Amino acid sequence: MNVANPKILRKTSPYLRRPNANVSRMMSDVTIALLPVTIFSIYSFHWSAVLIIALSILSMVVTEYVYYQVQDLLDGEKFKLKNKSYTLYNFSVVTSGLIYALTLPDQTPWFVVVIGGALGIFLAKLIFGGMGQNVFNPAALARVLVVIIYITHTSYTQHVVLIDGNAGATALQIASNNPFSIEALQTYSFSNLLIGTNLPGSLGEVSAILLILGGVYLAIRNSFEVRIPLAMVGTVAILSFAVGVFIDVHPLEYMLFHVLSGGLLFGAIFMATDPITSPITKPGRIAAGFMMGFITFIIRIFGAYPEGVVFSILIMNMFVSSFDYHKWTNSQFSRKRVLWFSIVVLVSIAVTLVGVYYAK
Amino acid sequence: MIKKSRKVRDYKALTKALPSQRYVDPESVYIHLQNGRCKTYELNVTPGQHVKLGEVIGTRFGGFFEQPIHATISGVVGEVSKKFHRTGRKVDCVEIRNDFKDTYHESIVDRPDHIIEEFTQDDFVEIVKSKSLVGLGGSGFPTYIKLATKDKIDTVVINAVECEPYLSSDYRLILEHPGRVITGLKYIMQALGTKKGMIAIKSEKDPLYQVLTQVLNVRFPELDVEVVKLGNHYPQGWEIEMFRWALNIDIPHGVLPMKYGVIGFNVSTAAGVFDAVKHNLPVVKRYFTLTGDAIKFPQNYRVRVGASVRELIKLSDGYKDGLDELLVVMGGPMMGTSMTSDDVIVSKTTTSVIILKNVEYKEEPCVRCGSCVYSCPVRIEPVQIMNAVKRNDKEVMKGLEAFKCIECGLCTYVCTSKIHVTDYVRKAKKLIG
Repeated sequence: MNVANPKILRKTSPYLRRPNANVSRMMSDVTIALLPVTIFSIYSFHWSAVLIIALSILSMVVTEYVYYQVQDLLDGEKFKLKNKSYTLYNFSVVTSGLIYALTLPDQTPWFVVVIGGALGIFLAKLIFGGMGQNVFNPAALARVLVVIIYITHTSYTQHVVLIDGNAGATALQIASNNPFSIEALQTYSFSNLLIGTNLPGSLGEVSAILLILGGVYLAIRNSFEVRIPLAMVGTVAILSFAVGVFIDVHPLEYMLFHVLSGGLLFGAIFMATDPITSPITKPGRIAAGFMMGFITFIIRIFGAYPEGVVFSILIMNMFVSSFDYHKWTNSQFSRKRVLWFSIVVLVSIAVTLVGVYYAK
Repeated sequence: MIKKSRKVRDYKALTKALPSQRYVDPESVYIHLQNGRCKTYELNVTPGQHVKLGEVIGTRFGGFFEQPIHATISGVVGEVSKKFHRTGRKVDCVEIRNDFKDTYHESIVDRPDHIIEEFTQDDFVEIVKSKSLVGLGGSGFPTYIKLATKDKIDTVVINAVECEPYLSSDYRLILEHPGRVITGLKYIMQALGTKKGMIAIKSEKDPLYQVLTQVLNVRFPELDVEVVKLGNHYPQGWEIEMFRWALNIDIPHGVLPMKYGVIGFNVSTAAGVFDAVKHNLPVVKRYFTLTGDAIKFPQNYRVRVGASVRELIKLSDGYKDGLDELLVVMGGPMMGTSMTSDDVIVSKTTTSVIILKNVEYKEEPCVRCGSCVYSCPVRIEPVQIMNAVKRNDKEVMKGLEAFKCIECGLCTYVCTSKIHVTDYVRKAKKLIG
């Protein structure tokens, strides 16, 4: 018998790993889920969409690549094309870039896209220590930077543009002027909001049906936590339904309008679910989704901005570590927690209605 | 992948259907004198002395118990040497060179059934103690202490789940000797004064269900034993998890199942109880699986306790060719111990040796997907414990109840980033220990 003598190694248990589970798969799944939306945005907005998407992905990828090159050079490593801390293989930054691009309106100037993207990935992700360490969602932060710094360039009303022959502000902007009517619905029908043709708005936010399609794909592939978008959209739905009943418009229509318009679906499905910036337990994730929905809705009807999704996501990002604080974190649902949670939901509805009563 | 995942790919098809090959007459056996629980020992035989099968050759001393050491073969006593034990440490082993006669010691005589029927709990405890029977599933906990419980036991559960991947020794034991298992269960039930018995198997192991119900119906119609099929989850072989699924009892951390009126025994232990009570025989042979993706012929063996694993590997035609590095794992691939050498002996608690190709997994940063939190059978949060270990924050480790961890390895298995989470939790357990 030939005695081959392989080296026997010592490791610690377990020795097996789950097949087909890796970070790149998770991140590239998000990219795949975004493809229909991306294609649709290119179809609706033509070259400006292509430009924005390419620029945002490029700005983020290049920033991250250069950052790690500089970091390695400072550490005294030799320059290599694929350096030690090379991170681009795991798709995470491409995903961030694509998400960021799709939240931008189609007329955003190119330098705004580039600066927002570069600053966003740098401030939200890289200075925190790269993937897995970021407190804020890079795409959301980049988008908010764009809103705050270049507000004149991104508000729709100042650049009334002809899009497929249909001029106008987004549905939410009409609603923002008078949040308690369904005036917007006379301008845009439900099928319009659902399919997204002939709608002004951000690149990727207009077609509800394609966004839901992407969400279903992610859910089937287990690449995101489906409870977060359900909780977030569900909260907005419940609150808007309650307000609809309270102010005596068609509650169902008012609810559908709030759910389908603006960046709610996009934010809920693709930004709020970023696992790095969401709590780690199931109950925590549901609670965070609820809070995001609540803040979104509050900003929409009481705030100065027509849109509150990215703000609510960033605000809740800050609270992630308090959701996971070791003194009360618990991965299980218990009757007591469900009871408390229901009380909080009811109180939030009451608070909203009181606010509406005075604001009306 | 954000998913609660308790399914582990099981690879049992490698050996499940193969009948056990008998390898009961090695040239010499090595009886380990120390083990995980017993550090000191006393040896009553000298080199050159002739011993018979089943003869007491010494005593192992544990913290609160002692167990006699039995010769598992008849032959001539050799030297004491250091060999690897299942726990991964080197322990003293005494060699016994086989004389191939299998002469039984005088004490090894069958007990007639009508005498056994009269036995009380104390009689059973005495027999099991004198045969130094321990939990053969791998725990090595002395069985007589469990049998001597004063709590009222309502249900005896035989654990035949064998949830670890690759292993099939318990499976073969039941298929080939269902009668021994069930009679062992009957004795345990008699000892504890229990009316109800249960045998827990995985739902995918239908052959076991058929064999067991057949034997129960034909040979033991008077016994109230139910064969329950549990799901295909890991780690259902863990007692607490098994009780949760089979009986719907939730046993909190740190409480003995006996307080809840249930007690669990491994299948091999039940068969061992049968041998001890009926034949007055200590554990001299056991079912053993030698498998893995780096061995040429995975096989089930019926093997003499004390046989050398190296010999068994030769019988299986050695390692696969062209491998530079491999792992030799004693026990299952999820919880077993990795050895630094294949010079290991089969002790009575060794269920298997698994030879695996060495795969280096590339660790990526944690993306906080939460799979480990979703999957953890003791419902702690491995990823947070890992972060606490990195910060060396003991308060958080305690707050996150790291001590509850049973080291089942599921958090590492499911990890999207291939991080060895279990190792961090282990460290946390040691730090707050």
